[in-house]
Amino acid sequence: MPIDKDVMIEAIDVNKEYRRSGAIIRALVDINMSIKSGEFIIIQGPTGCGKSTLLNVLSGLDLPDSGKIIFDGENIARSKEDRLSKIRRQKVGMIFQDFNLIKTLTAVENVESMLWPTVLSNKEIENRAIAALRDVNMLERKDHFPVQMSGGEKQRVAIARAIIGKPRVIFADEPSGNLDPESETQIMELLKKINKDYETTILCVSHRNTVAKHGDRIIKMDNGRIV
Amino acid sequence: MKKAVKMTLREKKMFIVFTLIYTILIFLTSFFIQVATSPTGGGGETTTFFIIIFFGTSLVLSLLYAWIIVARNRRIFATLKCIGWTNGNINTLVSGIIFYTTFMGFFIVIEVLFHYAAIIAYLNSANILVGIPAILISLVPVAITFLIFLVVQLAAIILANRKVLKVRPMLALKRVGE
Repeated sequence: MPIDKDVMIEAIDVNKEYRRSGAIIRALVDINMSIKSGEFIIIQGPTGCGKSTLLNVLSGLDLPDSGKIIFDGENIARSKEDRLSKIRRQKVGMIFQDFNLIKTLTAVENVESMLWPTVLSNKEIENRAIAALRDVNMLERKDHFPVQMSGGEKQRVAIARAIIGKPRVIFADEPSGNLDPESETQIMELLKKINKDYETTILCVSHRNTVAKHGDRIIKMDNGRIV
Repeated sequence: MKKAVKMTLREKKMFIVFTLIYTILIFLTSFFIQVATSPTGGGGETTTFFIIIFFGTSLVLSLLYAWIIVARNRRIFATLKCIGWTNGNINTLVSGIIFYTTFMGFFIVIEVLFHYAAIIAYLNSANILVGIPAILISLVPVAITFLIFLVVQLAAIILANRKVLKVRPMLALKRVGE
């Protein structure tokens, strides 16, 4: 089957089940979807509908029980852990609801940490981190520790960490979940700017309706299915 | 390694506590090895008993240290896995933290022995405390102890590596406190 070069991620007949307290929960049911390069997708749905599971599976953090995940032309549904790590390092940026910054590292060190395992020189990594912090308007806070920052600022640093590797795709799991409405708007506009400036594909999971307006396309989920 | 040193030094409390423990253990073990191997004859079975106790303690503490490092940093390691670190990258980081702490314990012991020798030599030159040996523990027992401690750290590193493998990257996506 020829691969559409414009398609960044494709899910084909993807299913995923969990066992919880003896019961089987069908987290993803026959998911078929494709995401084009440069799209800004918002995945929405009620709690427990499977949207985070979908994000995990599409990003290679979790493996589906059946089906294929074609990521940039490669089926990652059965890839080994080290291969998935390499794909994430080279092509993926991750943004978390709880920011997940390392509290003992400064903002610039947190951003640099993404590239520490690479062969890049320390100077190159530092230059890239500074450029990434400049992109998110956090350069003046580069030597601050996470405890000295507000939620919005922490998320900006997390976004800088996500873009330092020049990823093809950014996966954002409830990026504004812990932020006030004003910070939410700023963060979503920043993601939109990254999407436009670098043509980075963005997949954003959110249960908030206010986030939807920032995306090019909304995928709604319910009971493990796309509706 | 440089990153491991940076992260170790930022975890001040744990680093200081374990470095001090290693320092004391390396010092005491070296001292008892010195006594056991001295030409005048050591303390016999008692000395051997203490040496075994100290090595056993160092093994237990090393395993504890490795366990604490991974247990305290599970979310960090999960995040690092999410952003593209391999298990090997994280294991290198953990090994660096463990080895660096052990090296610091060794250097503190060497530093203390050097200062002790210098002070005694200085006082002897003024005919004070004459008769007290300037060399409290010679370098060979300290080096032997240090090498054995490094071997003991390998057990800790194996434990840490096994625990790191079990940290799933998806843990990073869970909400704090969930």
